[in-house]
Amino acid sequence: MTIDRVSGTFFILLGLFVIWERRVLPLGTTGNPGPGYFPLLLAILLILLGGLLVIHGGHAIALRSVKWPEARTAMAILGCCIFATLGMETIGYRVTMVLILGFLFGILERLKIWQVLALTLSLALGSFWLFDTFLKVPLPRGGFGF
Amino acid sequence: MEGNLQNLFLGFSTVFTATNLFYSLIGCLIGTMVGVLPGVGPLAGISMLLPTTFGLNPASAIILLAGIYYGAMYGGSTTSILMRIPGEAASVMTCIDGYAMAQKGRAGPALAIAAIGSYIAGTLSVVGLMFLAPPLARFALGFGPPEYFCLLLCGMVVLGYMTGGSVVKNLSMIVLGLLFGMIGIDQMTGYFRFSYGIVALGDGIGIVPVAVGLFGISEILATAGQTKRPVVIKPRFRDLFPSREELRDSVGPIGRGTVMGFLIGIIPGSAHIISTFVSYALERRISKHPERFGKGAIEGVAGPESANNAASEGALVPMLALGVPTGPIPAVLLAALMVHGINPGPLFIKEQPVIFWGLIASMYVGNLVLLLLNLPLVSIFVNFLRVPYKVLYPTILMFCVVGVYAVNSSLVDVGIMSIMGLLGYVLRKMDFETAPMVLGVVLAPIIEVSFRQALAMSNGEYSIFVQRPISAVFLVGALAMILLALKPLIMKKKDWRERLTEAEKSN
Repeated sequence: MTIDRVSGTFFILLGLFVIWERRVLPLGTTGNPGPGYFPLLLAILLILLGGLLVIHGGHAIALRSVKWPEARTAMAILGCCIFATLGMETIGYRVTMVLILGFLFGILERLKIWQVLALTLSLALGSFWLFDTFLKVPLPRGGFGF
Repeated sequence: MEGNLQNLFLGFSTVFTATNLFYSLIGCLIGTMVGVLPGVGPLAGISMLLPTTFGLNPASAIILLAGIYYGAMYGGSTTSILMRIPGEAASVMTCIDGYAMAQKGRAGPALAIAAIGSYIAGTLSVVGLMFLAPPLARFALGFGPPEYFCLLLCGMVVLGYMTGGSVVKNLSMIVLGLLFGMIGIDQMTGYFRFSYGIVALGDGIGIVPVAVGLFGISEILATAGQTKRPVVIKPRFRDLFPSREELRDSVGPIGRGTVMGFLIGIIPGSAHIISTFVSYALERRISKHPERFGKGAIEGVAGPESANNAASEGALVPMLALGVPTGPIPAVLLAALMVHGINPGPLFIKEQPVIFWGLIASMYVGNLVLLLLNLPLVSIFVNFLRVPYKVLYPTILMFCVVGVYAVNSSLVDVGIMSIMGLLGYVLRKMDFETAPMVLGVVLAPIIEVSFRQALAMSNGEYSIFVQRPISAVFLVGALAMILLALKPLIMKKKDWRERLTEAEKSN
């Protein structure tokens, strides 16, 4: 299986999913399109393009030859983004950032403890001061008011 | 002409205040840093720093953001010449001869010529922008929904063709972006589409989380675990001056790069990248000593660097005159204008002369500031390259999160950024260009509304798109592009796009 064929299959499935999800939206007529008309057109177009990728994708590189050496670290970093999404309003910006940066510097990158503390605290507190205090862009304070 | 000069005077009176000069300077400095640091491109840089402009007046905000934009274009050449790592995609060609010059101990002159070429190209392109944008905007005042729909359709096909790699893949990215742009309230009927009960999605998916996710987070994910410490050549100030021969050899490439870059910049797609390839190829072809290319020819630095700076300002022509972005960076700049309550479009120049002419004047000032600051400070900027990546990426990640959150004070946006980061990471692995997707997200509401309004105007007759001459011209343009894209499939021969992609990958 080549990367183009995998991508093409994904686009076909995504197009079918959009067509299925669009069914609750009025389609209108060709002369007076409703809110579901354009998504349907785009979904059909995506399916066609996906089909072209599947048909012409035989010469692309094989999926198994794509290397993912950084995937574990990448997933840990992505986990930090999700943690920020879910936790920032509950525990506040500063605590969230201290935890995320502490994890990245200390556990993932294994910096020395004084480096971790210095970088984590200066960046988390410094960015809060820059955005919230200096630039007056409100950042979440969380349940503890911190 | 006289009107333009009067307006330019208005622009300079806007810029020559202590506050705006300060923001122009700061923008240029931040932009240079963004350009110097590999992994932080101008798009992610502008998107991340957009919230810092919220407290500013619109003129200052756009002056600061534009400074970051062309500052990054300047800065990108530094890493290309000193490390053979392009700070941003448009500096790929500079790597070849720039790094070869650095290895021969001529890093200083290469940097100087890159800066001088960028300055000349940047300044002359502002002149082009100044004279081209206002008449284009006046012309576009006659555009109705059918013309806008066909213009955007043509623009998207051109974007699919002009972006490197497979046309089918690029078109898929545009369609995917358009589909993401369908999320939210339908502007004409008020229906919620694909929002799954999440109220924050009612306004649709914002450009900032998409841009930061696809260009900032995905870059961090793709380069995670990188431990290699880069070797950096550090030039001294006294070594920066080019010889008389190097200066003489650079004049022609700078002139040609400027004209070509500006014209290519107006076209949608990866114009600033393409312009550098075209410039390099042209210089090599017309050179009396083509064998010097690849071994440290100054023309190989002067041409592409001038072209990419001219193209970056050419790209502002459709954005400022029509309100239509031709690439993801103008799209973010457009979003920045909208955040400050300014409606982009053909009336922008007429209704907001202070901002438009202030921006033009700030570019003249900014280009000069960059020339005067960049060369003496190059050894300081080089020090940023010594920051270990394991310290750099968590810092960038933090700015991504806070930057995206601050736009709407919405954690849903941070979630969208994370999803887009993952999507961008996977798409890179699958050999997709993600820039067309960003543009799809931005243009989706405009193209859909234009389409439906045009049909409402014609009582549902599709012939309106071919009956009106301007829209018919755009449709013919789109058709011509599709035929050009099909040519290599029929002829079974590599076209210039495939050769360009191969060259880009080999560097």
